[in-house]
Amino acid sequence: MTVSGVAIDQNTCFQFKANFLPCTVLQVMRYDWEALEQQLLNTIRNAPPFFSDLPVIIDLDKIKSLGPLNFVKLKELLVANKMIPIGVRGGNEEQHLAANAAGLPTLSAGKLSVAETKPQKKEEPVVRLTKLVTTPIRSGMQVYAKESDLIVTAAVSQGAELLADGNIHVYGSLRGRVLAGVQGNLQARIYCRTLDAELVSIAGYYLTKEDMLHSPLGDGMKQIYLENEQVRISVL
Amino acid sequence: MKEQTVTKIIVITSGKGGVGKTTTSASFAVGLASRGFKTAVIDFDIGLRNLDLIMGCERRVVYDFVNVIRGEANLNQALIRDKHIKDLFILPASQTRDKDALTLEGVSTVLDELSKTFDYIVCDSPAGIERGAQLAMYFADSAIVVTNPEVSSVRDSDRMLGLLSSKTRRAEEGREPLTEHLLLTRYSPKRVARGDMLSLSDVNEILAIPLLGVIPESQAVLRASNSGDPVILDKESDAGQAYMDAVGRFLGENIPHRFIEEKGNWLKRLLNFKEKETV
Repeated sequence: MTVSGVAIDQNTCFQFKANFLPCTVLQVMRYDWEALEQQLLNTIRNAPPFFSDLPVIIDLDKIKSLGPLNFVKLKELLVANKMIPIGVRGGNEEQHLAANAAGLPTLSAGKLSVAETKPQKKEEPVVRLTKLVTTPIRSGMQVYAKESDLIVTAAVSQGAELLADGNIHVYGSLRGRVLAGVQGNLQARIYCRTLDAELVSIAGYYLTKEDMLHSPLGDGMKQIYLENEQVRISVL
Repeated sequence: MKEQTVTKIIVITSGKGGVGKTTTSASFAVGLASRGFKTAVIDFDIGLRNLDLIMGCERRVVYDFVNVIRGEANLNQALIRDKHIKDLFILPASQTRDKDALTLEGVSTVLDELSKTFDYIVCDSPAGIERGAQLAMYFADSAIVVTNPEVSSVRDSDRMLGLLSSKTRRAEEGREPLTEHLLLTRYSPKRVARGDMLSLSDVNEILAIPLLGVIPESQAVLRASNSGDPVILDKESDAGQAYMDAVGRFLGENIPHRFIEEKGNWLKRLLNFKEKETV
């Protein structure tokens, strides 16, 4: 799952990589401490190895309306049973404050974080200009559209590389490597006409030319996207 | 015939070795000079000197390109007059140094001085994409990309075209880009027909630059190399004629392409026709 194409030499100390760890969500539905403790212990007893070193996020969505839980006790209970509590998500501000005090950060994870007490400034809409390339991209050339989409109207040769933080559109023949969403944008997509690419990648998930040999492809525009952590190719 | 006023610098390049850069440089220089243009051909392949052999002047080399750059000889001492054509001069490479002996300033000074008196300067690039090749292309106004109908050669040519569009003085100064020409060498229509070789259209589809000419695979080329007379002088040979055509096209003449179809194809077509008739 590495993001290919970023130059790494001997002086490089580290690199950021898009990564997705499996994470279990403990969704609290009813807050009754004794019942909760009992249920948890029973569950663990059925399959102790499964819960060992298991990262857990506490989800408060279902009990939004209630007051703060005893997060200190909950955290201790999870740790005592070898789980790794990461933080809380969902819930209300009061719950977040209590969770934060117990050392459990609030995770936004795609949901609106209420923990931000500062009133959010209304941001100006940012329109990033799409990078447009109209000349052939030859073998050995690399084009990177930082924080934007990339449109190429000419051919992309074998051994050339296109990278974008957003989507990539190629209207010429495509024989090189194409990596969309290189900073980890799972929604990024690739659109092309003739697909003969060496490699296509969305947010680090990729297919090589060999993987694509048997893809059912006809003529016409193709769309490459990510679905259930699998790179899919469809004809539009 | 002669109209050239501003000196034009042509680089003969390919990326891959052994595709016919030096053969092409020699024949092109002879072709231009035989039409009355004062032409100099420079061997940029420092350490692997070959142009002098192909041009048949290896026994007359005293000073070389590196000597001139280092100020050990002046340009007139190093330039060798061609044995056949009076308007053609050769600047040989040094065999004892390596490509690091070339400097941007040195090459620039030599080309500037040649530009005072010559119409065309043909730069025979070494293989690879290192210093020698980059300096050979840096000052060019036109590039002739020599390609064999074979996948690795085509890919290397593609890489060179990328460098030509970014690593030349014209590109760096944001001037009008240099003109690119494709010269397909060692082409064998017979092997293309058998599917052993990439066809002209296969190559064209990938490289997509104007075609200057197709030089057929020919015994005459090896013979010419060994004898030290550029193949373009062999007017009987198909390769020699193909080079002559290519020079003409380079100078803007409208000459139809030859040597693309298989020899004796008309016979085959006639047979096919007859077969159809009988069916």
